[in-house]
Amino acid sequence: MERGSPAVLCTGVGRRFGRRWVLAHVDLAVERAESLLLAGANGSGKTTLLRILAGLSRPSAGSVRVLGRDPHSERLTCRRSLSMVSHRSYLYDGLTALEMLRVWARLSERGFSDDQLGALLEEVALSAHRDLPVGGFSAGMRKRLTLVRTRIESPDILLLDEPLAALDAAGKRLVERWIAREVERGTTVIVASHDVTRMSRICGRGLLLEQGQIGWTGPAARLPAEVEGLA
Amino acid sequence: MRSLGQIATLVRKDLLLEWRGRTRGLSVVLFGVVTLLLFSFAVGPDSTALRAGAAGFLVLALLLSSTLALSEGFRLEHENHALEGLLLAPVEPVALFYAKALSNTLFLLLLAPVLTPVAVVLYAVDIGPATLLQVIGLWGLAAAGLSAPGTLFAAMTSRLRSQDVLLPLLLFPLVVPVLLGSVKAIALILTGDPMQQLPSWTLLLAGFDVIYWSLCGVLFAYVVEEGV
Repeated sequence: MERGSPAVLCTGVGRRFGRRWVLAHVDLAVERAESLLLAGANGSGKTTLLRILAGLSRPSAGSVRVLGRDPHSERLTCRRSLSMVSHRSYLYDGLTALEMLRVWARLSERGFSDDQLGALLEEVALSAHRDLPVGGFSAGMRKRLTLVRTRIESPDILLLDEPLAALDAAGKRLVERWIAREVERGTTVIVASHDVTRMSRICGRGLLLEQGQIGWTGPAARLPAEVEGLA
Repeated sequence: MRSLGQIATLVRKDLLLEWRGRTRGLSVVLFGVVTLLLFSFAVGPDSTALRAGAAGFLVLALLLSSTLALSEGFRLEHENHALEGLLLAPVEPVALFYAKALSNTLFLLLLAPVLTPVAVVLYAVDIGPATLLQVIGLWGLAAAGLSAPGTLFAAMTSRLRSQDVLLPLLLFPLVVPVLLGSVKAIALILTGDPMQQLPSWTLLLAGFDVIYWSLCGVLFAYVVEEGV
């Protein structure tokens, strides 16, 4: 990790699928411990940007640095500092919740005992389901389980793509508390969400993507009004 | 050493998933048995011809069953985009490859204790327990030679609708040396080896295994990195 460098630095980042540019000329710096809320209509490039930051997709133009490093050539270092919750659950339906957490913990080389993993499941109200295959879980339960992964990985940068999707009211409150705690801990948090009003209460800065380009950036508290104006 | 621990975790996960979805494994085994049965029907009651072709039929049954097993193995990785989840972890793609290839080899190896006795009965081959163990050992080398390129191509084709067609089309030409080596070596075990040719065929098979496992491990990163 390079000292003093921003948590995330995008310079002229663009991503093209075929002839269509879904992201273009994105210049963005996210400081360490900053929380950024990404908003924008469907197809505005939020998920693509998060995937590029996570190193899951290469930019077609420009460059990305995560904690001063290139997420592709210095893949492992970046992965150790970063965790992502996507709208994809990344779960194996045939494994139980506890087994799934064990896999994540071992791959992340974090020494979690079953009791510790059980306590994390308790936090997301899944302890009664710890020995049940995740194939039988609802979308909301899956989302809660994937959130636990972020606690196991204990990242410096947390990327969240629609973290409130598929959750009931209690689940949304839980995730809000979860994110707020990460922000308080000093984790750099980048959230892409359509639930701008709710998320703007947690995040410090807002960014509006319009057709793959940065349309507006400013305090997150003002983002709901900007999104409203766009509609 | 770190990667070894991660590989062990991933292999354990794969074997657990295979065990939980054992109807899938059972269907692969049954497919192998049916293939052996069909070869015996095709050749007819000529026991000399059956014995002469036993090694080839056995390896072909393994090859055909392997395509089913390999594509099924990777389908699991794409349910809920689990492979992408693994790529988000601090794991080298090469470790993901060796874990998956090892799981596939173990699974194909498990076919041997079922298919070999079936072949012995169907093709009237007369072998003792020591010869049977030799065949299973050779089967292990053949399984390793199939599963390394098979894992790579299964990863390449796993998101395509035409995977079931493409996987054998890509895999079969590449594994011809494995097919030749294993058929020759198993035939020598079953029918006798007066010229002492078995070590050279076994060495050839092992050599191709080393090449496949090295090369496919390197290529796998390119396949999965932008392919998720």
